Amino acid sequence: MALTALEIYKLLPKTNCKECGFPTCLAFAMQLATGKATIDLCGPASEEAKETLGAAAAPPLPKVTVGTGEREVVLGDETVLFRHEKTFYHPTAIAVSVADDLGTDAFAARLGAIRALSFERVGQRISVDLVALRCASGDPGKYARAAVAAREATGLPLALLAPAGPLAAAVEATADSRPLLAPPPQDLGEAAKIAAERKLPLRVRARGIDGLQAALSGAREAGAKDLVADPAPENLREAVADAIGIRRLAILSRNRGLAYPTAFDLGAPFPDPFPAAALLIAKYGSLLVLDTTDPADLLPLLTLRQNLFTDPQRPIQVEPGVYAVGNVTASSPVLITTNFSLTYFTVRGDIEASRIPSYLLIADVDGMSVLTAWAAGKFTGESIAKMLAGCGVGEQVSHRTLILPGMVARLSGRIEELSAWRVLVGPQESSALPSYLRRLPPAAFLPANG
Amino acid sequence: MTVVLPEQKFTGRILPVTLPAGPGGIPVTVGGQNTLPFTPEGERPHPPAVGMEVRSGGEELPPALAAVIGEIAGDPVALARRCVDDWGARFLFLTLDGCHPDGGGRSVAEGAALVRDLLAATPAPVLVGGCGDEDVDARLFPAVAEAAPRPVFLSYAEEKNYRLVAGAALAYGHGVVSWSPIDINMAKQINLLLADLGFPPERVLIDPLTGGLGYGLEYTYSIVERIRLSGLSGDAMLARPILCHLGDAWKARESVDASEGSWGDVAARGRRWEEATGLACLAAGADLIVCRHPENAVRLSGAGWR
Repeated sequence: MALTALEIYKLLPKTNCKECGFPTCLAFAMQLATGKATIDLCGPASEEAKETLGAAAAPPLPKVTVGTGEREVVLGDETVLFRHEKTFYHPTAIAVSVADDLGTDAFAARLGAIRALSFERVGQRISVDLVALRCASGDPGKYARAAVAAREATGLPLALLAPAGPLAAAVEATADSRPLLAPPPQDLGEAAKIAAERKLPLRVRARGIDGLQAALSGAREAGAKDLVADPAPENLREAVADAIGIRRLAILSRNRGLAYPTAFDLGAPFPDPFPAAALLIAKYGSLLVLDTTDPADLLPLLTLRQNLFTDPQRPIQVEPGVYAVGNVTASSPVLITTNFSLTYFTVRGDIEASRIPSYLLIADVDGMSVLTAWAAGKFTGESIAKMLAGCGVGEQVSHRTLILPGMVARLSGRIEELSAWRVLVGPQESSALPSYLRRLPPAAFLPANG
Repeated sequence: MTVVLPEQKFTGRILPVTLPAGPGGIPVTVGGQNTLPFTPEGERPHPPAVGMEVRSGGEELPPALAAVIGEIAGDPVALARRCVDDWGARFLFLTLDGCHPDGGGRSVAEGAALVRDLLAATPAPVLVGGCGDEDVDARLFPAVAEAAPRPVFLSYAEEKNYRLVAGAALAYGHGVVSWSPIDINMAKQINLLLADLGFPPERVLIDPLTGGLGYGLEYTYSIVERIRLSGLSGDAMLARPILCHLGDAWKARESVDASEGSWGDVAARGRRWEEATGLACLAAGADLIVCRHPENAVRLSGAGWR
């Protein structure tokens, strides 16, 4: 467990020497406790303090990287069991499988389908992260060629699911791209030697947490360092229980022998992979291998991952600007709100529900909600007047009437003073927008005179 | 060697709440656990229960739902029967959206009559949701409370209307769903207010507002986890079963939009959208799930072991 500020304070010299840049040792201890400072800033600290605090600061779950460059995938390196305690840092990586014995056309088509599993949501790109290459041929030459082809076609990192022989051949051909070696349990020893020699990440697969304890220890003895643990569950229930068990061993017990990122092969014969994938995204899976290339499966899973791996302290922001909702015309209503994503989606959803095509202005307030942004002085008469003048909505509509969130009705006078726009105060709650918009008199949006 | 798995033990326990059934029906009891979902330790006397929503308004159905319930969606009583008899819904959530001025504008008396008809048609436990218009709901809830011949849960009581809703529920022996907008302090506050009224705690469920997948689900996820952790750690006002209503999953563009070819078949995608929303709620700790797709009633029940 992480140390509290008081526990850390007891280990410090308590001289308030200020060498660390903080006024007192207690203040420094509080920074250490929240991870905002490190013990090396404290010159006079005892060796014991440095050792204890250094170990406490090391991530309870090691980081393992697969792939290189822009598409590098980071597994593990998490610090909490619940996202509200801090955040989840490294999104569950999703690998989609392809078998090396497909015909040339089918193989290319499947790689094309994997590459297409990439979507734009709230200004972010969410995509499948790896290609899991299954060795079905048993032929080292064929498997190595397939690995090269998969790399070339998708640019994605590879997970090499293959027995030792083909695995060695594929590593020869693709080692530079830092693939994940994923041998079957009986070939672990040989694969661990390759992983050690080439300094590549290795997936260790064994039945259950007890089985993993022995297998991981064997892989470490063979010299492999970057390990990923696959408890080989047979169903959803086992998968979630194992994922929770391993993550708790890392975070609560600091059990170094089992603290590794986890991998789950949800391809055949695993029954009904979708719910298992969704639950493992929520509950600590680091890498999932799926057989499906159906976007109707992947888009929900990637969206769930995007949701849960958002930093709770830093909400997703929407790009500020003018958004047209529905088939807008020059006399459509104009509304304004802030660029906090939840605010935006709520207001947009309520406008859509009204079926009144409207323009929605999204003000740049660093992702705060309307009231918070108003209280912080970021959503003001001045900033709104400036946006009205600069965003170009005046060229898209012929009227000059702005609907302002009811919560900030007090801004209306200032806006009318500073701009050519008339203000209508909208409802306090976004949920009242549908009936509000439907009851607006059309005369509210007649062309402005001069 | 066997690895000893760490556990998280709690001093508190979630209050068991029973949704009563009519003669011949099976009541639904949830709560009673002293542990988090999906963990090996602690006691979980009751698994989460999955029910289905029946709506009285004539809204246009998303393609995924039109394909499976389109033919009978216009007949709420018939739909309710099928939900229970054929699709395994353990309870029903009747939304009286048909009484909304913009949703058909049916009278309060018609809404109450529908509640009576539905309760006569099925013995399953029932929750009744308002239409969403403050003025109409202020008349609707008392009428429903009076008309219902057996105990139901009224959904929902919030800070603005709790006296009225809880008062109507108290007078006729019903339960209430306490609602708050993704805010743990407000969730606690509304339960304190209900307690101050003398409302029996074993007839209260918490609705923390469920955002749809991609549209605020992460806030719900963390609020459900925080409410549950607080309840298990001894906060009696939050030690209540949590209800997640997946309705917002069907408001997402991704679950209804057929025009985006690269997103896959809209019927499959819509169903998955609701399913993924429900799975996240179960992972966070929801005790009751309300869904609309018949297949999801079965699938979410299967995923929600304790």
